[in-house]
Amino acid sequence: MSKVIEVKNLVKSYKKLNAVDGISFYVNEGEVFGLLGENGAGKTTTLEIIEGLRKATQGEVKVLGHDVKHELNDIKEQIGVQLQSTAYYHFLTLREILNLFASFYKKSIDPEELLHIVGLKHKAKVYVNALSGGQRQRFSIIASLVNDPKIVFLDEPTTGLDPIARRRLWELITKIKSQGKTIVLTTHYMEEAEMLCDRIGIMDKGKLLAIDETHKLIERAKNPYTINFLVKELKEDGVATLEKVGKLEKVLGKEKDYSLKLKSADDLNKALDCVQKLNPLSLTVGRAKLEDVFVELTGKSIDE
Amino acid sequence: MFKKLLLADLKMIIRNRHSLFWALFFPLIFTCIFGFFFGKNTTVGSVALINRSQTELANGFKTALTDSEIFKIKEETDEATAKDEVTKGTTSAVVVIPEKFGDFTDPNAPKSIKIIYDPGNSQVNSALIGFVDQFITATSFQMTQTQKIFTIEEEKINTRDLTYFDFVMAGILGLALMNSSIIGIAVGMSKYREDQILKRITTTPLPSWKFIVAEVVSRLCVNMFQISIILLIAVYGFGAHIYGNIFIIYCLAILGAILFQLIGFVIASLSRTTDAAQGMATAITIPMMFLAGVFFPIDQLPKWLSMFVDYLPLAPLLRMIRAVTLDAASPFDNPRNIIIVVSWIFVCLVISTWKFRLSKE
Repeated sequence: MSKVIEVKNLVKSYKKLNAVDGISFYVNEGEVFGLLGENGAGKTTTLEIIEGLRKATQGEVKVLGHDVKHELNDIKEQIGVQLQSTAYYHFLTLREILNLFASFYKKSIDPEELLHIVGLKHKAKVYVNALSGGQRQRFSIIASLVNDPKIVFLDEPTTGLDPIARRRLWELITKIKSQGKTIVLTTHYMEEAEMLCDRIGIMDKGKLLAIDETHKLIERAKNPYTINFLVKELKEDGVATLEKVGKLEKVLGKEKDYSLKLKSADDLNKALDCVQKLNPLSLTVGRAKLEDVFVELTGKSIDE
Repeated sequence: MFKKLLLADLKMIIRNRHSLFWALFFPLIFTCIFGFFFGKNTTVGSVALINRSQTELANGFKTALTDSEIFKIKEETDEATAKDEVTKGTTSAVVVIPEKFGDFTDPNAPKSIKIIYDPGNSQVNSALIGFVDQFITATSFQMTQTQKIFTIEEEKINTRDLTYFDFVMAGILGLALMNSSIIGIAVGMSKYREDQILKRITTTPLPSWKFIVAEVVSRLCVNMFQISIILLIAVYGFGAHIYGNIFIIYCLAILGAILFQLIGFVIASLSRTTDAAQGMATAITIPMMFLAGVFFPIDQLPKWLSMFVDYLPLAPLLRMIRAVTLDAASPFDNPRNIIIVVSWIFVCLVISTWKFRLSKE
């Protein structure tokens, strides 16, 4: 698998603040790579330096073998960019916008085909303002595909969308991936990153705290197994027994719901025996989530 | 690529009713308003004439007043009704020719014509009083067979038939170019920036200069259409006069539009939001509209103020347009005007090249 993006010791400074602080990573051809982090972590700045929209203070960025500083036009011909909350021209129809953007490139895809992919063919003659939030985001993504790019950059593509619209966008991103395109996206939704990304880099305060394949990243969690259970009453001796095997937490806002986090498969077996003895009303076993790793690495939840 | 972009820009301008209003209808409204007041077949005001005498002199006065075409004459019989019309503002003044006026057989016949007017309507009053006075004086001289000792010798600098509307039409041309270009570019570019359209453009291989040139050229096309419509309505609708070369007027319009578009780019560079750009554009265009000589000559202003407004971008442009339309002169006869305009273009070009960016970096 060849590397299509290589970032080495990238720094972006604004006066005394390092928005991006010496990060290095690569992106493989055909994968979905995600930069995960809270707002202000440096995800968008990193993405925009790779896209050539911002200049790096230090470091080296290569896209498809071209240096961003000197061969930007070669890169622009081969990438597609969806910016965070971009609005398109108000007084051009969807078809006209796609035709116009297609004219900027040497190679282009038929706008009708693109509109068909996202089920917006019947809206070809309407203005962007007449679209719903979800439709607008889908249009924004296909607008980044007009030049049949090798790499597609999506900056927080699902922010502000309702769950159904978000699901539809995930399907679209998966469809784009299936065409062999490389996708680089930023998000602060853990579920989205876990669901879509083959590899993830977790960013905080301009630094890359961890980078790995998604499943390996989750396995790095201190407590990779979880038992969630509901009991009528949990007495003190029961609490003491469970705390010997794992980390017991009351589910936020619930009186009788508990979560037991465990370090190993042995602990999981032991804990299951203990919980069964409590006659739980409900019991589910699961693995740790990306959010657990994120909290462990950054020391904070993403909503903070 | 460029052709498609230009076409798209033109479509957007035409479809954007707000910008179209500023570009076309706003100056057309001014053209029509001034045309109705000061265009062809317009008079100073309407005068009600009550002629109670049927003498030769009274009828002669009536004919002279009507033929002068200075006033719109309507005949009345009742003085109270006519006075009421003046009070309501439907008539500017009333002229009453008393019974037996001009009857030389009756020594007690009245010797004066009565004028009833509202002191607030100074333009009509002075014209009407002047006309009646001149008529009576001339008649008196004729009756007494006296020769005038002193006379007036008139010498017109311009022998052409010119009206105030001709002066204002040139002003409206400049006003239309200024409003549509400054507001159009300043607000348009700021909105594009706010909506991240400029940033989105920079992610494509389209060179920035092509994007800007397409914007400028599309607006110039609209300006040419705008100028043509104003000239057509002013000339054929309201009888405006154009004595110079129409081609030179279009060249000056392009020069002015480029200058005002550059001012628009400077505003877009300096303002962070669309609202700020709108405010700044209005703060520049409104004072310039009233001070730079659109509606009245700058020399009517106090000297200290006219010295300042003389150098505003619109003022020299209007002087050049008027030199062509009113005097059929060359805009280069007074090189000072062209120097001021070109200097403004240079300054605005330097600032916008330095400050205006499609993206932040």
